[in-house]
Amino acid sequence: MADERDDNSNKPEAPPDPGRRKFLKGVGVVGAGAAIADQLLLHASEQAKPAAAGGASVEQGAADVVLNVNGQKRTARVETRTTLLNAMRNHLEPQVSGPKLVCDQGTCGACTVLLDDKPVYSCLVLAVDATNKKITTVEGLGTLGKLNEVQTAFVEKDALMCGFCTPGFVTTISAYLKKNPNPSLDQVKEACKGNFCRCGTYPHVFEAALSAAKTIAMNNPLALGTESEVRS
Amino acid sequence: MQQPAKKMKKVMVPRVVDGKETMVEIEVEDTGDSPKWGPNNAHRLLNKNITRVDAPLKVTGAAIYSYDVRLPGMLYGRILRSPHAHARITKLDTTAAERIPGVRAVTVVPSAAVVEGSQKATEEADKKNPIKVGGTAQPASNAVLKIVRFEGEPVAAVAALTPEIADDAIRAIVVEYQALPHAVEARLAMKPDAPKVMPEGNIKAASKSGDREKVAAAIAGCDAIIEAEYSTPTVHHACLETHGMVVDYRGGNTATAYASTQGTFTIPGDTAKELGLPESAVTAVVEHMGGGFGAKFGIGVEGKLACQLSKQTKAPVKMMLTRTDEFLFAGNRSGSWQKLKGGAMADGTLVALDATQYRLGGLGDGSQANQPYVYRPTQSYREVSSVYTNQDSSRAMRAPGHPQASFAIECLIDDLAAKINIDPIVFRKKNLPDTIYHRQIDRGAREIGWERRNKTPGGSAGPLKRGMGCAVGTWGAGGGPSCVVDVNVARDGAVVVAVGSQDLGTGTRTYTRAIIAEELGLSISDVLEKIGNSKLGNANASGGSTTVPSLAPALKDAAVNARLAVAGKVAPLLGIKPEEVIFADGKLSGGGKSLAWKQACAALPASGISARGAWKEPLQARGVHGVCFAEVEVDIETGFVRPIKMVHVQDIGLPLNRLAVASQINGGMIQSLGMALYEGRVMDAQLGIMLNPSFNDYKLPGTLEMPQLVSIIDDEDLREAVLGVGEPSLIPAVGAVANAVFNACGIRVRELPITPDKILMGMMKEERQKS
Repeated sequence: MADERDDNSNKPEAPPDPGRRKFLKGVGVVGAGAAIADQLLLHASEQAKPAAAGGASVEQGAADVVLNVNGQKRTARVETRTTLLNAMRNHLEPQVSGPKLVCDQGTCGACTVLLDDKPVYSCLVLAVDATNKKITTVEGLGTLGKLNEVQTAFVEKDALMCGFCTPGFVTTISAYLKKNPNPSLDQVKEACKGNFCRCGTYPHVFEAALSAAKTIAMNNPLALGTESEVRS
Repeated sequence: MQQPAKKMKKVMVPRVVDGKETMVEIEVEDTGDSPKWGPNNAHRLLNKNITRVDAPLKVTGAAIYSYDVRLPGMLYGRILRSPHAHARITKLDTTAAERIPGVRAVTVVPSAAVVEGSQKATEEADKKNPIKVGGTAQPASNAVLKIVRFEGEPVAAVAALTPEIADDAIRAIVVEYQALPHAVEARLAMKPDAPKVMPEGNIKAASKSGDREKVAAAIAGCDAIIEAEYSTPTVHHACLETHGMVVDYRGGNTATAYASTQGTFTIPGDTAKELGLPESAVTAVVEHMGGGFGAKFGIGVEGKLACQLSKQTKAPVKMMLTRTDEFLFAGNRSGSWQKLKGGAMADGTLVALDATQYRLGGLGDGSQANQPYVYRPTQSYREVSSVYTNQDSSRAMRAPGHPQASFAIECLIDDLAAKINIDPIVFRKKNLPDTIYHRQIDRGAREIGWERRNKTPGGSAGPLKRGMGCAVGTWGAGGGPSCVVDVNVARDGAVVVAVGSQDLGTGTRTYTRAIIAEELGLSISDVLEKIGNSKLGNANASGGSTTVPSLAPALKDAAVNARLAVAGKVAPLLGIKPEEVIFADGKLSGGGKSLAWKQACAALPASGISARGAWKEPLQARGVHGVCFAEVEVDIETGFVRPIKMVHVQDIGLPLNRLAVASQINGGMIQSLGMALYEGRVMDAQLGIMLNPSFNDYKLPGTLEMPQLVSIIDDEDLREAVLGVGEPSLIPAVGAVANAVFNACGIRVRELPITPDKILMGMMKEERQKS
């Protein structure tokens, strides 16, 4: 059903608003903030200018960022306060919406991505701080045609119900099994203590993690913990 | 030709309204012979472990949830909430918010949109105190919300180019409130001089049943009497995907609503009403959804506001609640306060129960199953009332009212057993007339190792004390006639099954395919399902464990009709009668000949064949039990409780997919464990606000709290019929855990959640009594 994904390749419109500048005249504090944001919007409505490769150029509160997501250099113009999570979900074209916005405060782990192969909560990382880093999301760990071992184990063990926490768990566990290819049940619990599930999939998630570890060990008897898993 | 008159028959079906399940008698067409599932152990795909058909999409991030929908030109909505539990709005100025660049619309919440029960009071206040609304934002109706009645009540909403700008705009709306007296705690709201939450009073008259004097007399003659109060706090659904929807309306004649909902068909009507369109002009889409647990029916205030903003801007608007919104105005499980007095004889006979039950549903009525729940003492009396407080209205939540009732009665049963020194499971069996409980209790007891338990509560040595507990539950879990399923078999062999129903994570997609594949002798991957769209065949909303028993019979009926239609066309090729065609292993065979599925389908007409299915009453059943056992370890030096093992035994008739059923039972146990040990809304009675509306402060069970979980499908239930399992799997664990804590350390905590402070306090009291 991958072909049923919404086609979001059209650029979002910034509806023309010619009266806005006039309207802003004489506005006090709000006006100052507005002017900055207005600047940003003017830029947004221009043709996207690619920023210098691998960096962020900051201009009036807006930044052109180049994000290296799943091996692709992706550009977006965001406000500097925009989180990596929101930049991927709301600004990249097409969107990267595997990581989910759930708690927005670094508690639940649904937005987990790998930043230079290390799991982080992308709701706590600013997009401008994620430039020049390798960002791997759940989409980069495996594809519908070629799931990674953790994804395969999640399918087989029914380690998901509604699936909203799943991208976070898959990402956390994929990274953890590289660090510790042969974990105990308690170590798996410890490794994903920063991920919440509400449907109650935990027991099957643990089974999936342990089963994936076995598969990885079987497939790569001499190469535990190599880069083979992350196709980025 | 004249149609013969339809033969009708009467059946009883469950109806869940506001969390209260009642049976109603309805008339359905008597279509004569219903297809049969056949013996539960004779299926090829069903009653086996089937991996979810949508799992690959979900593990790769390719599944697009409503929260992920992003459309060209889409705006982001945000809601301004009241910071007060009770206040009059004296000024509301949206001018500054409207001036923020990137803000496209501001709207004020119409008074009638928010809280059930509050409409009358608000309208009266509107008439008495008209206020001026600054800015160009106009309310959707003539009445402007002037009185807010709980913290978090929506006041206004904005739509902007980004969520960040929408946040700015919310902060720029100027609202002045005149605080009014509030009551957020039930015990305070019940006092005669308490501030009026409802104009008609804070207590809704009790419903009474039984003869209280007879009960009192019976209790007086008992060998053991327990009189105690039990309370459970408000707990939250905490669906990971918050409530909300994306309204795609650009001012034309049609609209699409991508909603995070448990009821695809609960969306188009209200959306159309808000947009001023005919209902048929709105399509609801629910491709994947991130959890509901009873909180997500209808478009809600957030959906209404999304429609208003979309109408104002002629642009798609995404209005997904923030986590704080979700805690403050998107529903909860009502709290409870129960005063029970029960008596038993030394031989283990439960004689009488007197119950006073309060449902604490904020501005709603709340829900609570009636005592004595599943037990049948000779004499019982109960009175049930609702106490209103200045909190958002509760909503249905997975087995509404049942865990509250089960927790209280199961604690009382356990205490009575301890008092007459009888094994709690022996006591239960003696007082549960339904023997299905007996076999489930025995099965669970074997699995947990009941013989290892403390014979005396708190009897084990050492500071780390282990204990076990048991509890039972019940639910209806039957369905009704609402689903229309269409199956199309194309000439090239493609099979598509379509119905508008939704998959909450329960596995609807998977069994939808499996039932069709099973009947046609195909594999799961040979069938494609189309669900989650209001333009497809009608389906019921997923509440009260009614989805499987409503949908699966219609699927089976459609599958049988499709098989017969295909057989009718193919039989001549095989030189046999249609009813002789065997569908198996991807082949159609008979008369010594065999055709591969695709080969056979080439005989179909150009347009393929279409078949339709409707609900068949005999394919589903009603009434399930459910028993849970728990083992915990209590550190009596810190009061910390560590769950060790939980076992749940559940009857379910024909389990469509054992893997998904096991997952759902695990989920029930875990949510119930959360209610027992961790979860609860914490209110500040003075300020009238919730102190923990975030995942940092509202404790959900996490990986480190997970015990070993064993979900057991009771295969001795031989009913060749389907039932739902969502609700019953949640009910008894909360009582089982509470009883395990008691058995471990001898401290009975009657106020949930069982946090360390309550155990230490209990021990202190015990020490004091001893000395």
